[in-house]
Amino acid sequence: MSVQTQLTKGKIDLKGSAQIVTEFFLYSLNSILFQRGLYPVEDFDRKKKYGIDVWVSNDATVKNYLGKIMESVEEWIAAGKINKLVLAIKSRETRETLERWQFDVQLVGEEGEEKVRPPKSEKTLQMEIQAIFRQIAASVSFLPIVEEKCTFNILAYTCTDAEVPTTWTDSDPLHIKNPEQVRLRSFSTDVHRVEAMVAYRRDPDLC
Amino acid sequence: MSSNTPKAASFSLHTPNQARAPSKSLKDERSAYPSPRTTGKPAAGSSGLASSTVPRLAGPPSPRMKKGKPAQYDRFIPNRSDKDLASSQFNIARADSEQPLDGATIAYHEEVARACGVSINKRILSFKEEAPTSDRDDLRQVYSRPALKPSASTAAKRRILNTPERVLDAPGLVDDYYLNLLDWSLGNMLAIGLDQNVYLWNASSGDVNSLCQLEGDSYISSVKWTTDGAYLAIGTSDGDVQIWDAESQRRIRTMAGHQARVGVMSWEQHMLSSGCRDGSIWNHDVRVANHKTAELVAHSGEVCGLTWRSDGALLASGGNDNLVNIWDARSVVPKFTKTQHTAAVKALAWSPWQLNLLASGGGSHDRHVHFWNTTTTARLDSIDTGSQVTSIQWSSEYRELVTSHGIPHNHLALWSYPSLAKIVDIPAHDTRVLHTAISPDGQTVATAASDESLKFWRIFEARTKSGKPAKNGPLAAASAAAVGAGSLRSMSSSAASGTGSGFGASSTSDISRPAYIR
Repeated sequence: MSVQTQLTKGKIDLKGSAQIVTEFFLYSLNSILFQRGLYPVEDFDRKKKYGIDVWVSNDATVKNYLGKIMESVEEWIAAGKINKLVLAIKSRETRETLERWQFDVQLVGEEGEEKVRPPKSEKTLQMEIQAIFRQIAASVSFLPIVEEKCTFNILAYTCTDAEVPTTWTDSDPLHIKNPEQVRLRSFSTDVHRVEAMVAYRRDPDLC
Repeated sequence: MSSNTPKAASFSLHTPNQARAPSKSLKDERSAYPSPRTTGKPAAGSSGLASSTVPRLAGPPSPRMKKGKPAQYDRFIPNRSDKDLASSQFNIARADSEQPLDGATIAYHEEVARACGVSINKRILSFKEEAPTSDRDDLRQVYSRPALKPSASTAAKRRILNTPERVLDAPGLVDDYYLNLLDWSLGNMLAIGLDQNVYLWNASSGDVNSLCQLEGDSYISSVKWTTDGAYLAIGTSDGDVQIWDAESQRRIRTMAGHQARVGVMSWEQHMLSSGCRDGSIWNHDVRVANHKTAELVAHSGEVCGLTWRSDGALLASGGNDNLVNIWDARSVVPKFTKTQHTAAVKALAWSPWQLNLLASGGGSHDRHVHFWNTTTTARLDSIDTGSQVTSIQWSSEYRELVTSHGIPHNHLALWSYPSLAKIVDIPAHDTRVLHTAISPDGQTVATAASDESLKFWRIFEARTKSGKPAKNGPLAAASAAAVGAGSLRSMSSSAASGTGSGFGASSTSDISRPAYIR
């Protein structure tokens, strides 16, 4: 089956998939901001999504900020131009990257395989996304405690021919030196596949 | 939640039945330990953790389940004989289409690609705008903030109140800059000369009594306690110097001879120096009948400042002729003279911790305080105080000095030494502060002014060993007692109202409110 068929027949089409992925990014970014304590707890509200409670920021500036980012991201996903979305948590004083959450986005079905995959049920999709959120929450147990005041940066790895609005600028990848990495779960709509990973600073005491 | 299992080598525990399906297992994450409950059935390799089964740390599969299989399985040692080595080798060796997990490798690849100009079809974009900052304290941090160190806050607190600790009436105080009518003895007795009378106020008990009253139209021009507080010297406007015993309150002797009033005196053990209006300074040996031992003449104006150094080697004198003379004890000629001041020098004080340091303050035209090294005769420092300097008191505990002033502000100024930074200005009186005296414990400064009040200021609060200011002062017990007592004059006739309440209680209550008693 060609990709075309999948698009028309499948429950989730490209645009819908892009929407799902963008939404996922938005909520997962909010979750990470909450879990890592980048904003105070009062700034977050609980919301029912994906069958679980997710924490979403209620601060207007933060919502606005993330909203603007997500606009561009959604466009890129729909165009298939974005490879990765990275949330880099940096210390405010030293500007050093402390944590790096990386979400890889891939278009599924590019290889033109003839596999007929049953369209993903919404339930399965939800479960997969749920699992990632649970993992983000559970990551608190192994991620090092961050004492200092932090800020974050959103990076997007895009194709060179992607349309880049003026709100984005070129940057270096903000990798962590000698990191510990943990690959988290992934999910896929029928069109996109998203994989998650977190890298953090190795605790110098434990080495 | 999956742990960081490296992709390439995962030792999955296979039962013989599962030996044929290693490829799927390597691709997906799953627990390395299949659930033992799945009897005979291969563990759900492809669904892995995504399924609802909670990954369980499994023990070795119970041999009971595998009928006829006596083989024992160790969790950590793969059963190589049963494993399909071929497939696993293939999977290990197969080139992974996944990117390496190692961040450094990724970064390296990216850098190399960029350097080579090879387009890796990737552009790394960062959202330009900075993330909004949260100003509020993260609650987490609020609750985990370490307890504030107590040492710094309490030790450094030093209260210098703007209000006097106590105020007493002093009616009849002669408004004359050149007199020295206040002195505080080592025995905690305060002597004040009010016109024709000398009153003694016991700071410990609050008792007041009149020591003496002069006849005629002579008045008290100076009072000075001996260093041990046993005797009080009283200088009169006639030029007489009277010695009184404080204990018995009787006059011991009178030393006459001066031609004019004795405005200032200073004791040096058994020797009393008296400064006269005619500019002469006489040294008296009070034990001997022929008391006058030396006459030091170097001033052309009234001698208004006179003070011996604590070791008795040097005598400093200041006069209305704007001169400061330093005398060696053994000579009648001044060691050196200082002419820096442009007004009468009444304020003279030796530093208690540095023997050769002398501070001198000038009158209304001069307003300066000069610091002298009397060994080298050099002027060390100067302060322009802005007001007529009427007296100087040093504090050894705090390395500070307090200067009292007259025109125009009538205040007390506290300075740190040697930085000479002004610590505080205390507005003291309504008219110029004429005389000051420091308590024997060095904590309280008494000031007398021509507004007929005698005020006590707790400036140099003693620090206890732990650094906290001490609660009790010289006025502790007396404070409650003197609540009812009014003017010094009326107190002379009143019975000893020494009903002082508890030592600690009274002082704290006094500090909190100014005790205005009129």
